[in-house]
Amino acid sequence: MSILERYTGPSEAQIPTVSHHGEIPSGQPTCTITIDGQEVTAVVGEAILRAAQRAGFNVPTLCDDEKLAPAAACRMCLVEIEGYDRPMPSCHLPVEPGMKVTAASDGLFAMRKQNLEYILSDHNAYCMPPCQISCPTHIDIPGYLDLMAKGQHVEAARLVKDVLPFPYALGLVCPRPCQEVCRRGLVEEEIAICQCHGYTGEMVMEMDQAPTPFPQEPATGKRIAVIGAGPAGMTAAYYSALKGHAVTVFDMMDKQGGILRYGIPEYRLPKVKLDKELNCVWQLRDTEFKGGMMLGRDFSVEDLLSQGYDAVFLGIGAWKSNEMRIPGEDLPGVIEAINYLRGNAEGEPVPVGKGSKVVVLGGGFTTFDCSRTSRRLGADVTVVYRRSRKEMSAHYSEVDDAEHEGIKLEFFAAATRVIEKNGRVGGIEFQRMQLGEPDASGRRRPVPVPGSEFVIECDTVIPAYGQYPNLDWYERDPGIRKSRRETIVTNGAFMTDRPGVFAGGDAQMGAVTVIECVAQGKLAAKAMDRYLAGADMAKVAEEIAEEEKVPELIDIVPYKPEEPQVRMPFLPFEERVQSFQLIENGYDKAGAEKEAARCLQCVCPDVGRCHLQRLSVEHGLTENRFHRAEPVDYHDYEYDFSHDFILRDLNKCINCTQCVRICRDVIGANCYGLMGGGYDSIVTTPWNVSLSYTDCVSCGACAETCPTGALMMRERDLQTYELDIVRCIYCGDCVEVCPHGALGETPNFELSTYRRFGVTVLAKEELATARTWKPSEHIPTNGDGHGPVRPPEIRPPGPPRWGA
Amino acid sequence: MPASTATRVLDGRVPAYDEALSPDEIIARVEASGLRGRGGAGFPLARKLAAVRANGAGGDTFVIANAYDADPDSPLSRALLQRNPDAVREGIEIAAAAVGARRRFLYLRPDAEAPDWGDDIEVVRGTGGFMGGEETALLAVLESRRAMARQRPPYPAQQGLGLRPTLISSAESLAWLPYVLSGAAATTKLVSVTGSVERPGVYEVTLGTTLGAILDQAGGVTGTLKGIHVGGPTGGILAASRTSTSYGFDELKAAGTHVGSGQVRAIGGGVCVVNEASKLFAYLAQETCGICVPCRVGTARVTGILQGITSGLGRNEDLPWLDELAGHLNAFSLCGFGISSASIIRTTRAEFPEDYRVHIEEGRCPTGTCSVTRARRYETMVQP
Repeated sequence: MSILERYTGPSEAQIPTVSHHGEIPSGQPTCTITIDGQEVTAVVGEAILRAAQRAGFNVPTLCDDEKLAPAAACRMCLVEIEGYDRPMPSCHLPVEPGMKVTAASDGLFAMRKQNLEYILSDHNAYCMPPCQISCPTHIDIPGYLDLMAKGQHVEAARLVKDVLPFPYALGLVCPRPCQEVCRRGLVEEEIAICQCHGYTGEMVMEMDQAPTPFPQEPATGKRIAVIGAGPAGMTAAYYSALKGHAVTVFDMMDKQGGILRYGIPEYRLPKVKLDKELNCVWQLRDTEFKGGMMLGRDFSVEDLLSQGYDAVFLGIGAWKSNEMRIPGEDLPGVIEAINYLRGNAEGEPVPVGKGSKVVVLGGGFTTFDCSRTSRRLGADVTVVYRRSRKEMSAHYSEVDDAEHEGIKLEFFAAATRVIEKNGRVGGIEFQRMQLGEPDASGRRRPVPVPGSEFVIECDTVIPAYGQYPNLDWYERDPGIRKSRRETIVTNGAFMTDRPGVFAGGDAQMGAVTVIECVAQGKLAAKAMDRYLAGADMAKVAEEIAEEEKVPELIDIVPYKPEEPQVRMPFLPFEERVQSFQLIENGYDKAGAEKEAARCLQCVCPDVGRCHLQRLSVEHGLTENRFHRAEPVDYHDYEYDFSHDFILRDLNKCINCTQCVRICRDVIGANCYGLMGGGYDSIVTTPWNVSLSYTDCVSCGACAETCPTGALMMRERDLQTYELDIVRCIYCGDCVEVCPHGALGETPNFELSTYRRFGVTVLAKEELATARTWKPSEHIPTNGDGHGPVRPPEIRPPGPPRWGA
Repeated sequence: MPASTATRVLDGRVPAYDEALSPDEIIARVEASGLRGRGGAGFPLARKLAAVRANGAGGDTFVIANAYDADPDSPLSRALLQRNPDAVREGIEIAAAAVGARRRFLYLRPDAEAPDWGDDIEVVRGTGGFMGGEETALLAVLESRRAMARQRPPYPAQQGLGLRPTLISSAESLAWLPYVLSGAAATTKLVSVTGSVERPGVYEVTLGTTLGAILDQAGGVTGTLKGIHVGGPTGGILAASRTSTSYGFDELKAAGTHVGSGQVRAIGGGVCVVNEASKLFAYLAQETCGICVPCRVGTARVTGILQGITSGLGRNEDLPWLDELAGHLNAFSLCGFGISSASIIRTTRAEFPEDYRVHIEEGRCPTGTCSVTRARRYETMVQP
């Protein structure tokens, strides 16, 4: 058998050189083809796709790069051509005079969509974490879970506190919108996201290591008055103080916390720990709490502005309960939900005790706070709701817990009147309901069933139909508008009609969840900071709207081996009766880290740039039919983050082979190839070794051409570098190839390039032991503009250390 | 024409022919004989020869005899090289003369026995696997690359080895050249009869023989006949009632399958056709070269759906879904591998609806032979 010569590959075929900016360079032979009925001038011999792109046709493709020979691998650019019995790849087929091409048709669209569905079914990744999007504060959830899994709890807490100052409290009381969309739930069970940051928050707090997200900025000399020490107000105060403003927080109650202290019962959130966590605000410079000061009674917004406050934030919450609007609601024994909770929290005597018969009306969080509190006080409690369990706005776990604690639940019943007995409440009459058409909120509207009245006997009725803000002070503060729902009206930057006066939280939205209030507090702090810097508030509002916009995302099939959720230890139900002890016992360290490690890390730095995402959105791919089958149907690759510049995540690879071709044909390093066989074929390095072991020159061309996030440039902050001084010849090549210009920015290498012009200014030892300076840092010199020259020293074994 | 009187390549001796024919005369004679390529697609050999000669324009051209036998159950080339190697050799030389090729190659499986032909014809070996026999994958192997298909056009006759016009033809087609030049008619085709027949093996049958007659030639079917799988791993399965179908390029195409690897497999009565289809697709998903999406992912996904059905997880909507995916495989695949694999779904769906129905509606295997291979089927996930 003879030895074969190695022939040149098809990549070296002659490809016409054409400018792709809408013009055909003069002198190129051209011909006319028809694309979708439109006559297009094309260069003889060029691919149909080129001609189509130049003429402005949007032919989808995932594997085409005009620098490279076509691969026809992704099959997205297939077009119908008259005279061909099947669709042909336009990236590959050269134009011929008179060709009639159909680039867009319903049939092609459907086939391309099927193709995308295939690609996404084996694209074990996600554009952006849905948890992060659904969380109103947009915590970097994969980020902190990753840090937690590595045991770096302080750093994890720092990341959380970047947007959420109170991770412990929210870990306990948040209704967890993040967990409902967690993609781990597609594998088996969602991650206990909130309980994880709860653990981290508690741990750093108890160890007195609670970090700030960034150092408090120097004092600006501006003063902000925050009214209301609840979730929104405290958050706004925290971030405003971090920005360097002096903050005074006023509250009508004597103690801080607002609804967290006076609305949420002790068994859900222990107040000692709440105080400890909220104290992080007072640990910042120029912060002050003034309790017992009620807006409208003790001061007005006007007063604050005249006292020299530059901005005012109204985070006054929603402290008025909605009325029942039925006969008998004024009878003794009908008590206001929020007052009841406040009274109980303050230790005041409340009209519920052992043997009381309590009926709580509604299906929200307050309903269950009232009913579970009453149960703990020894009462016999019934919760009555107009619709079904499914429509309750309280978290399902809370409904389940309430039932387990011995609270009776009654659905599809609306109160019609309170029955009097001996001058006070003796019972309440209900009418059965059934579900009708959906209303504006999407929930089906309950419709009464005639003649179905029934009575529940009781001595106390707690209507918990939601709350609204107390705006009694409103008359005294002109320039602030209120809505018909008794909430404060603001623009998109949370500023009321009165410049400098901001509002957020329940006061602005009506009663919502704690996490939504925290999110608004954070945004309002940002808006106030911009306001104090003199920014155009209309622009700030636009910025905020842009940042908060939910991106269009494509969900695809996750595959990971199953690993059930680490169970949160709970107080047994039997111990909960008549005890306000905290019911969530909290994770231990091992449990929290194990749970955090379950995170799929659904985060892609390529989002927005990814062509697969763009095409999937364009093709309306909102479902995938190849979901949840056997492990053998999917691939779960290890990441290769070992290379200094290029991150490889094979889970995102779609085998377009662009990196193979660019590395082989343009760069010449030939690091990649299609490996494996059959369905398990994947583009990777030979034997799937780390890219560091290939001939990679770190040029980044592969990452640049990759249509997805499979190959990404690593963000680098070069602090030190390792240099073998015996081998360095000061060629400066490293400076030139560095894709980030990072080496060029270091004084030593810049100086080292002088060597090429015959000037030696630096000893090799200097180069080896020097450190990198950040652009903002002052670079010490020895007077002549060069780095300090020190006598050569013998380098110790191991990597060089600067400053030694 | 009865098989006994026809010219046969398998055990015939190489006839004398006019060795002084000019290239144009060779091509004209081949064209007059109507010789069609035996590699499966039945493309007229004369047109290929003429194209390579014209595209070569006096420069380098190559001749490659594909004796790879991609289908492991169809050792046609090996049988031919064993029993009539001279015909193959002469055929290669004739083709080389016709296209003006300087270098000739014999392309074999890695484990095949190579004939001792000296240095005139270079023996090269593929890397193994079903894909290695595909003509452009074959070129990739000769160019020291992974055995992967590439898009046509350009065909190898335009741009083949080293981008030069290359004649790639099956060893069987080339073996016919000396016979054709001597005036004989190419009327037979080698077939590999396998499955539940008395004497499985390689047979030479006259084109136009019925499938039933081919099975009879191999000693007849053992037990009852349920279906006939024609064309190798990417070929369709025809019902037993199709025994009167003639074995020929056009006739099989009309029946929904193809000559393909030349395999004719008798499927006995105790076999579940859904399971057969699922096994075929599992094989294809393992053998696909991985370059194009429909074939790499599609074969695996079809396997999953079929395994779902055989595991008792099938639903009625799976059937139109399979048809849809077959249409996609056929229309959007890069090479014949994916394109023709659709015939497995199409023929089994058309000819054995009962097997699918019993699996899905009655939740059992019609022959009681399927076992549960998966606990989960594909589910639709709708984006929230």
